[in-house]
Amino acid sequence: MGVRDSHGEAAGTPDPVEKGFATLNTIRIGVKAMVQKDGELRKAEILSIRQRKDGPSFYVHYVDFNKRLDEWINSSRIDLSKAVEWPQPEKPDKKKSTTNNKAPSKNIPKNARPGSRDVSGTPDALGGKNLNVGKAPRPSKAGGKENRTVDTPGDTSLFGSEAVSTVGTPKADSEDVDMADAAAEATLKEDGVKTTSGEVITREEEIERLRTSGSMTQNPTEIHRVRNLSRLQMGKFEIEPWYFSPYPDEFSDVDIVYIDEFCLSYFDNQRAFERHRAKCTLVHPPGNEIYRDENISFFEVDGRRQRTWCRNLCLLSKLFLDHKTLYYDVDPFLFYCMCTRDETGCHLVGYFSKEKDCAEGYNLACILTLPQYQRRGFGRLLMAFSYELSKREGKLGSPEKPLSDLGLMGYRQYWRETLVELLMEPGRETISENELAVLTSMTEKDVHETLVVFNMLRYHKGNWVIVLTDYVVGEHKKRLEKEKVKGARKIDPAALQWKPPVFTASSRTWNW
Amino acid sequence: MTRYGGLGRTRPKKLTSKASIPIVREDEIDALDDEHHASLQQIETGVEKAEESEFHLQVAINLTAQGKVNDTHIPTPETILSSLRYDELYPPHFSQPATYIRFSSTVEDCCGCPYNMTEEDDVFLKMYNEKRDPSQRCSEDDFEATMNFFEETAQTKQPYAAVDSPPILSFADMEEAMDAAVEESVKRFAKDIYEHWKLRRAETNNRSIAPSLKFETGQDTDDSDPYVCFRRREVRQIRKTRGRDAQSAEKLRRLRKELEDARQIVALVRQREVARKEMIAMERKLFIERAEVKDMKRKLNIKDDDEVLINQKVFAANPDESSMEHVLTHFIQPKKRPEMPSQGRPNAPQLRMPLKPGLQGAEDLQLLEDVQSEKENEILRDIKANIAKHIKWNEGYVDLTRAPLSPSPERTFDTAAFRPAFTAQLPTPPSSESSGDMMDTALDVTSPLHSRDKLASKALELHGEPHRMPSFRRRVGRGGRLLIDRRNLASRCKVELDPVKADRFKFDQEDSDDEPVYDTDPFSIQIMQHRAITVAKVREQAAVAAQAHAQAQAQAAQAQARRLQGDQSGNGQNPGPSAVAASEG
Repeated sequence: MGVRDSHGEAAGTPDPVEKGFATLNTIRIGVKAMVQKDGELRKAEILSIRQRKDGPSFYVHYVDFNKRLDEWINSSRIDLSKAVEWPQPEKPDKKKSTTNNKAPSKNIPKNARPGSRDVSGTPDALGGKNLNVGKAPRPSKAGGKENRTVDTPGDTSLFGSEAVSTVGTPKADSEDVDMADAAAEATLKEDGVKTTSGEVITREEEIERLRTSGSMTQNPTEIHRVRNLSRLQMGKFEIEPWYFSPYPDEFSDVDIVYIDEFCLSYFDNQRAFERHRAKCTLVHPPGNEIYRDENISFFEVDGRRQRTWCRNLCLLSKLFLDHKTLYYDVDPFLFYCMCTRDETGCHLVGYFSKEKDCAEGYNLACILTLPQYQRRGFGRLLMAFSYELSKREGKLGSPEKPLSDLGLMGYRQYWRETLVELLMEPGRETISENELAVLTSMTEKDVHETLVVFNMLRYHKGNWVIVLTDYVVGEHKKRLEKEKVKGARKIDPAALQWKPPVFTASSRTWNW
Repeated sequence: MTRYGGLGRTRPKKLTSKASIPIVREDEIDALDDEHHASLQQIETGVEKAEESEFHLQVAINLTAQGKVNDTHIPTPETILSSLRYDELYPPHFSQPATYIRFSSTVEDCCGCPYNMTEEDDVFLKMYNEKRDPSQRCSEDDFEATMNFFEETAQTKQPYAAVDSPPILSFADMEEAMDAAVEESVKRFAKDIYEHWKLRRAETNNRSIAPSLKFETGQDTDDSDPYVCFRRREVRQIRKTRGRDAQSAEKLRRLRKELEDARQIVALVRQREVARKEMIAMERKLFIERAEVKDMKRKLNIKDDDEVLINQKVFAANPDESSMEHVLTHFIQPKKRPEMPSQGRPNAPQLRMPLKPGLQGAEDLQLLEDVQSEKENEILRDIKANIAKHIKWNEGYVDLTRAPLSPSPERTFDTAAFRPAFTAQLPTPPSSESSGDMMDTALDVTSPLHSRDKLASKALELHGEPHRMPSFRRRVGRGGRLLIDRRNLASRCKVELDPVKADRFKFDQEDSDDEPVYDTDPFSIQIMQHRAITVAKVREQAAVAAQAHAQAQAQAAQAQARRLQGDQSGNGQNPGPSAVAASEG
């Protein structure tokens, strides 16, 4: 396993940044200015500008914050007394010029930022290949990737050392915090190519890469970098979308988009939505129920048979998964949808998608708990369920990469809890990583890395030992106590009525 | 995978995944230097590189590393409760079935009419309905159905409207698309609603009124347009050969033909059902009129045989019926044999046209029987003519090419060719079932398989009949082989056959496709005698055989034409139809 340069220091000298002072009139897209955010100044990149009655409004991305915190601000929040960084002028043969051939307007590609660093031909950890961009990769004909790879190297990572903010203040109910809620992941497969900086990519290669990686980051117009829906009405909730999703472009003009909670159809007009509700008879995901316990149900929905529903689901989840790609259709996937039940029907809480035939052995492609249900432990259940399916299949599995930040935190927590639970079983004195993997359906790699990350695997007096640290033991006891009070939320294997679906060769040929 | 977790002084042992690792508590081992942070960085997060450095994630990772998992929090945008009237929109109708739900309807199946009215439509509909009296008003459902019809028709007729921006479909085109499947209500309101639809359609540049997703249009801009989604995946390439191309083309052609046939059938079924409906209406009308006649008769006190009040299926159709029914009726209901059910047309009973006595056009009507027999005769004539033709063609020729491997047992050889083998008459009286047997034999001609099953029993019984005397015949086969056919070879051994033995051979027949096995005693004097004679004759005939050879061939050729028949009857009549070759001697 190639050890990866963990978060690549900037290689090479960054181009000098052109700094200066700006006025509201001279600010343009691509400029990085200091912006008031939660009581402090943060550097933010202007991604879009629109004119409002009360002056211009700016869509900003805060450097080193997740895109989901991007927002529209009015001009008063931009601190013009501080110098701004002007966008890099376009240099066809220099630095990250992946999009310059076609950049049609003043939209400056994100890549062309100062301080961008190289991620030079990073060994592909998953594919085990170190690919050269020079050869345009062939599209994988059958590959059913649902995630996209972002080729854009990020900014210099000055993380952490920056002002300790109040932003990360833990919530009051921190015990319930479960990061397992939204996880997006794309994959660095053989067709996911890391761009070496300084490389010139022709338009053809660019498009080829778009096709293969499904990435939309390279898009010249950068439309997708700006969230297109402002608000979502779904079921009992109003939700703020996190990312761009290719809903009809008319939807970006309306204040609120209505999503039918059951069929996931979308409307930009309340009257039309109400008319639809009067006719719609769906009360649960349109598939077979494969799991039921007192709290939740799981439905298996085939992307090919339920194309509309699955497309609707993907459009919806794209609003909360940055790395999901909707480039290709939903046919090669099965969707496992978790629902809570009440007298109105089975309400979708979260889901994960799974390739019908995954060459890389991933046990899920995308996993999401809808924002209105996050931080309640549902993500953990989804993960547990995905491993339960892997157990039925007799396979070891791992989620498709990359993970989102929330996905990473959620998975690490799930992995730790699962492993600790096994290790704490009375009478267990030794165990191998392989045994742990087989018992949990986790891959050996995930088992090993989890042990390392939580400092449980140590070299002591010439021997490897698994150390149940006071911390993990404490966490485990806390969890047991909580379960005693609130009841354990677990997947009961006996309630799963499921056999791994089998698909014929012809369905493969005809794209599932 | 190997990790240098120790102090770096000694190189740690390699850790394999199969190695058993002891589990210990933290207090059981010595405190270690806090070096794990360095090693921690070597673990991939699996997060996109560009995002790995994100502020909140790093805070969370570091806190986790310090064991403060619960302090980690990655901020996300907020979710609030909606003010929408949830209960009205989502009625509480769901009751959970006892078993796990199985469901395969699609969203389209569940959502009714895909067109949904907007406020704009409301305004139009309100104005439209104001002008009309309540019975003529257009309901919301009808309105949506009509709009949907326009939208769908436009989609079918102008599938590439998004690309080539054709003019909005005219109403004439719409009318053209109205086939039988379009609902009445839609047809009724179409004209009035069309203008409104056109107006709305113009607003969207002749795209569909409801916003729709962007799919591939085949243009160059597709690839870079972030709104284009759910592209078709390329079908996995298979090696192309001309043969496979032809095969696929043929498959498609066949598929098309089959679909067209199916469509045809459906159309015909529809036609039939419409006719049926008409007929039922007719019957009803008839019934009502009869009721009236009845009342009238009662009123006027007319007393006759009331024949008009019941269906007289005996008689030919009323001349004033439609011509099709007319023809059908007299085919089905021949006037002379009214009791005969119409076998040829099973669907005929539906046509119960009332017939009035004395109105049949007797002379010009043919009988079903006549027609059938005439057809049959025609076929027979045809066959005869063909046979004659073949014989004529073959005249003067000896067909050497098509000679059978072994001359078939000829059915037509006259019984004279068989020389009855006179032996002592057995005293057994004729079987009482003989007539039945005869029948069977006759039947057997048509079903050789059937006959085979019966062979065994018959072989034992038949000998009682005088004309079923066992007889033999000698033939010369191809290459001068001498064949001896036996017929009516009653088992002489019947008497000697003890039940145990008979039982042993009971099922022999069914096992083998070959000749039945006869239970004979090879040392019985009679058989030895017979063999001796045969062998002597063989020698005698050997010389003659050569001369007869050519002739035999010709005969065989002649026999060819009747071979099939010969086979059948041969089986039926001969207990042992196949030859006992000379080798038997």
